[in-house]
Amino acid sequence: MRRVLTIAQMAFTETVRDKILYSILVFALAMIGSSTILVTLSVGGEGRIVRNLGLACITLFGLFIAVFIGINLVSREIERRTIFSLLSKPVRRAEFLVGKFLGLGLTLAVNLGIMAAGLMVLAWALEDHWTPRILLAIGFTFLELLILTAFAILFSTFSTPTLSAIYTLLVFVIGRLSADLMEFASQFGGPSLKATVNVLYYLLPNLAQFNLSSAVVNRLPLDPWVLTLTAIYGVLYVAGILSVAIAVFQRRDFR
Amino acid sequence: MSGSGRLAVLPPARISLQRLTQAVALAIAGAALAGALVTSRGLQARAVARTETAQPIFFPRAEILRPALLGFTSLAADLTWIRTVQYFGSRIEGQERFPQLYQFVDLATSLDPHFLDAYQYGGLFLVIARQYPNAIAIYEKGIAANPSAWQLPHDLGRLYFLELQDYEKAMHWWEITDRLPGRPHYIPRFLIRLQARLGNVETAMELWQQMLEHSENEAIRDIARREIRKLLGQMQQKPSPGRIR
Repeated sequence: MRRVLTIAQMAFTETVRDKILYSILVFALAMIGSSTILVTLSVGGEGRIVRNLGLACITLFGLFIAVFIGINLVSREIERRTIFSLLSKPVRRAEFLVGKFLGLGLTLAVNLGIMAAGLMVLAWALEDHWTPRILLAIGFTFLELLILTAFAILFSTFSTPTLSAIYTLLVFVIGRLSADLMEFASQFGGPSLKATVNVLYYLLPNLAQFNLSSAVVNRLPLDPWVLTLTAIYGVLYVAGILSVAIAVFQRRDFR
Repeated sequence: MSGSGRLAVLPPARISLQRLTQAVALAIAGAALAGALVTSRGLQARAVARTETAQPIFFPRAEILRPALLGFTSLAADLTWIRTVQYFGSRIEGQERFPQLYQFVDLATSLDPHFLDAYQYGGLFLVIARQYPNAIAIYEKGIAANPSAWQLPHDLGRLYFLELQDYEKAMHWWEITDRLPGRPHYIPRFLIRLQARLGNVETAMELWQQMLEHSENEAIRDIARREIRKLLGQMQQKPSPGRIR
């Protein structure tokens, strides 16, 4: 466990030194701040515009961080040949991957925290009261991003950074669409299409489940049981994908 | 090393050449940016001319649009709503009609069926545009999607009372409003007055006055002020048969 935490700490230090992270963060905060301009164009719905745009920015910029930093965490070590010196030490490949995942997870948590603080302050300035349910939505966005980080690491164990980025973005798109695909198949498809979509639905992550923005923005009631199940689903999915990544990485030949 | 430090070690001829290059580059930059500004103003003028021509706008169906939005439907509803406000605002001062107002409001509320402000203000915009069946359709759609929101049956009751003078329907919707949590304190009073079946200009005046006092939005308060002025004009021309008490 100590070795995993050391690698996680190294990965965190490595990612916070990455200039791309700061560009993404500054841009995200600027976008969240720009919602105050949009508010002036509207009649009604001012508070929800700020919260909606803020949550969308947090999801999208969090996705960029997860994808563009996640795909490089493993491939950079291979490219620089530092993987040889790392794995020649008493570090298992599984520990290496889990450590990298935790390091990026911490980076994501810190960045989401900064963006969440920006959004909370802005929403408070506009509405004159705190809206703590925003934090719940951001918490589930964090879980969604952890799933995507696990995918980014999985793809980077066997593919190039560019392809890994494309695959991870595709997982995001399909994951957000899976419920719609299921509905389309049930309405228009034949038995074989329905069966295929059914398999894909359960195999691919159902990311729409983690999107609480509409419920939070419209102050709709949230079922605690559904939230608990969603959180368990997210943790199990991350564990599953990381295990697949470890299995692939174990077989990888670095010669 | 700083720029001046670097220049200090160069021969004087090179220094003057570098300064000349710098000056030329700055001059070109200034000219190019000024040109870009002029071009941008030209483009802006053309864009305004384009939007002023009555081009039909394409409205995709929300069910088809929703999957393409990847879960950002609530944000898309906000952006559609801002576009609706701009559409309405750009025509309200002139004598133009609002042929696409209903499609705008319908799209915003279909993308996010819980967007209460879009139903409320959208319905009000449709009332001002004298599109009463469309306004009723929007309010009823909102009531079906948000059965516990008192604002929508309240506004629908107001539409039936003020614009259509259908007091039975107004009473029906205000009775529904009266049963919902958070409803305004004046609803029971209105119901009593309606039961006396005596709608008049002064009651209408009070309804607009309530909106003027309770709305947090300056634009809506402006609309209420305008309606009150209109009603005052009517009252001066034709004395009211008597206020409901």
